[in-house]
Amino acid sequence: MSLVLDNLVKRFGQVTALDGISFSVDQGQVFGFLGANGAGKTTAMRIILDILRPDSGTATWNGTPTTDVPRRTWGYLPEERGLYPRLEVLEQLVFFASLYAIPRREAAARGREWLARFRIPEYEKRRAEELSKGNQQKVQLIAAILHEPDVLIMDEPFVGLDPVNVSLLKEAFGEMRKRGTTLIFSTHQMEMVEELCEAVVLIDRGRLVLGGPILDVKRSSGRQVVRLGVEGDTALPWLAELEGVSVVRSGEDYTELDVRGRDPQDVLGAALARGERVTQFLIADPSIEQIFIERVGRAPSEDHHLANAGEVPPPTYWVAR
Amino acid sequence: MSPALATTLRNIAAVARREFLWRGRTRTFKITTVLLVVVGVGLALAPVIIRFIDRGSTGDRIEVVVGDSKPAVDVPGALGLLLNAPIPGLPTDKNTTTAYKVEATGDVDAARARVLDGATSALLVLDRTAAGDLAFTLYSKDTFLSRTTQLVRQAASSIVIQDRLTRAGIPPIDQAALFAPPEFDVLPADPDASTDGPQTGEEFASSFAISFVLSILLFMAIILYGQWVAFSVAEEKNSRVMEVVLAAATPFQLMSGKVAGVGGLALVQYVVVLIPSAAALIFQDRIASLILGGSSNIALPEGISLPLLVVFGIMFVLGFALYAVLYAGAASLVSRQEDVNQIVAPLTIVSVGGYLVASYAGTGLIPIDSPLVIVMSFIPFFSPYLMLTRMGQGTAGPAEVAIAIALLALFIPVALWIAARLYRSGVLMYGQSPTPRTLWRALRAR
Repeated sequence: MSLVLDNLVKRFGQVTALDGISFSVDQGQVFGFLGANGAGKTTAMRIILDILRPDSGTATWNGTPTTDVPRRTWGYLPEERGLYPRLEVLEQLVFFASLYAIPRREAAARGREWLARFRIPEYEKRRAEELSKGNQQKVQLIAAILHEPDVLIMDEPFVGLDPVNVSLLKEAFGEMRKRGTTLIFSTHQMEMVEELCEAVVLIDRGRLVLGGPILDVKRSSGRQVVRLGVEGDTALPWLAELEGVSVVRSGEDYTELDVRGRDPQDVLGAALARGERVTQFLIADPSIEQIFIERVGRAPSEDHHLANAGEVPPPTYWVAR
Repeated sequence: MSPALATTLRNIAAVARREFLWRGRTRTFKITTVLLVVVGVGLALAPVIIRFIDRGSTGDRIEVVVGDSKPAVDVPGALGLLLNAPIPGLPTDKNTTTAYKVEATGDVDAARARVLDGATSALLVLDRTAAGDLAFTLYSKDTFLSRTTQLVRQAASSIVIQDRLTRAGIPPIDQAALFAPPEFDVLPADPDASTDGPQTGEEFASSFAISFVLSILLFMAIILYGQWVAFSVAEEKNSRVMEVVLAAATPFQLMSGKVAGVGGLALVQYVVVLIPSAAALIFQDRIASLILGGSSNIALPEGISLPLLVVFGIMFVLGFALYAVLYAGAASLVSRQEDVNQIVAPLTIVSVGGYLVASYAGTGLIPIDSPLVIVMSFIPFFSPYLMLTRMGQGTAGPAEVAIAIALLALFIPVALWIAARLYRSGVLMYGQSPTPRTLWRALRAR
């Protein structure tokens, strides 16, 4: 029971948005879809939803090609949010639900319930254009989940939400997960990934960089992060003499070290041997953010497609994200 | 019914429903509907209204100065007879034909002054040429080509002939009999066509008017409601709601639903406008006698036949569907509503072309049996206009009409296919102007 992408290739004119992507998402998983801007995330999502067709490769849900899977299997929150500006909120929800064969009365009841849960029940009769951006986004999310999809695909669901709404959204995630909904989302907020996701993939320039259960991904870097705090002098010049250890950051309180190819305990041993009085010692895997930066290794502005824009003719379609 | 088909129909219905209800509730729709009803009824009652406004006037006065010319004819009398006689080949449209009042006068300067201040519409002065023929001078504020001038000129020709006959020694005969118009009918050369077609000049003129009006109704529907479809597509794209809808429904479902929803609303608006207008037309007689008093001689338009109306209905639905589908496909290629008019312009031009050729063929500027008209009357984009005109004029048989309808109906799936292709590629295309290469790529896309 899983969503499997197998060797997906999609080109837009001269730009290769997906260059042979393969990965799978287990049913019921919370799955993080990571990558810099323009890496190909949105294109992959659109292919899963059959909004786009790949040039080659397949996407299957439980063995069935996604083109043949009923559309009510999916819920989708696109990156470019959109509602009918002049349609009333509840009516939008009922309309979207009707496309998934939810009877109007049922859709209205569910819509009211979700509006209440997201603490905007009073906006039921308001036109979408009258709502703030954050509230529009909540309505949009409700539109994506009202038909209780098996898989919910969200492009940057946390962008533009205040902390209160972020926690409301996380709550909703938890509830959908309990119901067995598979959640796939992209985000640039790495702390969300660490907090919510069971598995991730990281793609760059249309290629898969790494993927798997989040703990495996963190350990895949072959290094660990050590925090060492001692009383007195915090400069700790002797650390430079230890092989496989480099100082990432020295602070007032503690020093952060990168330990590669040796046991982090050696650092503690070395400190104690030197007679330092250790106040803090912590071993951790590198954060997803560090891995992201390490593996993608560049700012989004150095993006492949943009960098090449002068050399190749402009893409005939859009620059896929 | 397969589940896939059921889903498709359900989604088309859902999209159509939203389009229909939402658009129908907008203020713009309500205002245009009310305005169109007012205009429709106004046009239907135009003859009555004109007569109501004109009820005080006694018609156009034409003054005649005979002077020393001593014509052999009673010129004012003959002129009155000739000017007020029905014109062969044109309908006896008593509503708009002015009743001319001809009066003799002696003072040229005073009469000219009256023409100038509008009390008299024209002054005809008679004279003799050196050869002894009658010469006419018309003082008028109208142009040479105006209706009154032309009628007076024709009448003058008849009067001159009578005058010449008298001078040649032939005794004058009864003027009423002399100037009575001949019977003059136009019949189609094809003996088979004679039963459908207009039989007399009057019928011909009436059938021309009917097919002209039907062409206008069709043209307006395609341009106006086709634009609605186009704008609706651009609006969805502009508000970025498109991607959400596309995740739930296929481009084909979305587009078909849109065309069906807007088309349904268009039909509703049309019926809402046409019923009062048609009622006004039918009860014109009663209304006229109520307002103007007495019995009215306003006639019902002839030439509307049930088959013509049925064919109009079919052509209306199919023609609209064809254009609307392509309007939707075209509009999906632009990202801003401002660009919609530009992208649909080629379609609008094709539509205007069909309409113009139909009007020209209807008025005889292009012969109705010319190969151009006949060929175009079978081509889907033009057939709604031209086959309707040909049918109205009785130059197309039922078989030809059926073939044109069949071709049109067969072409609609092709248009749907093309438009759905454009839609699939176009709706996610933002910020780029479509080029022929883009279009080609969109059509070939998987």
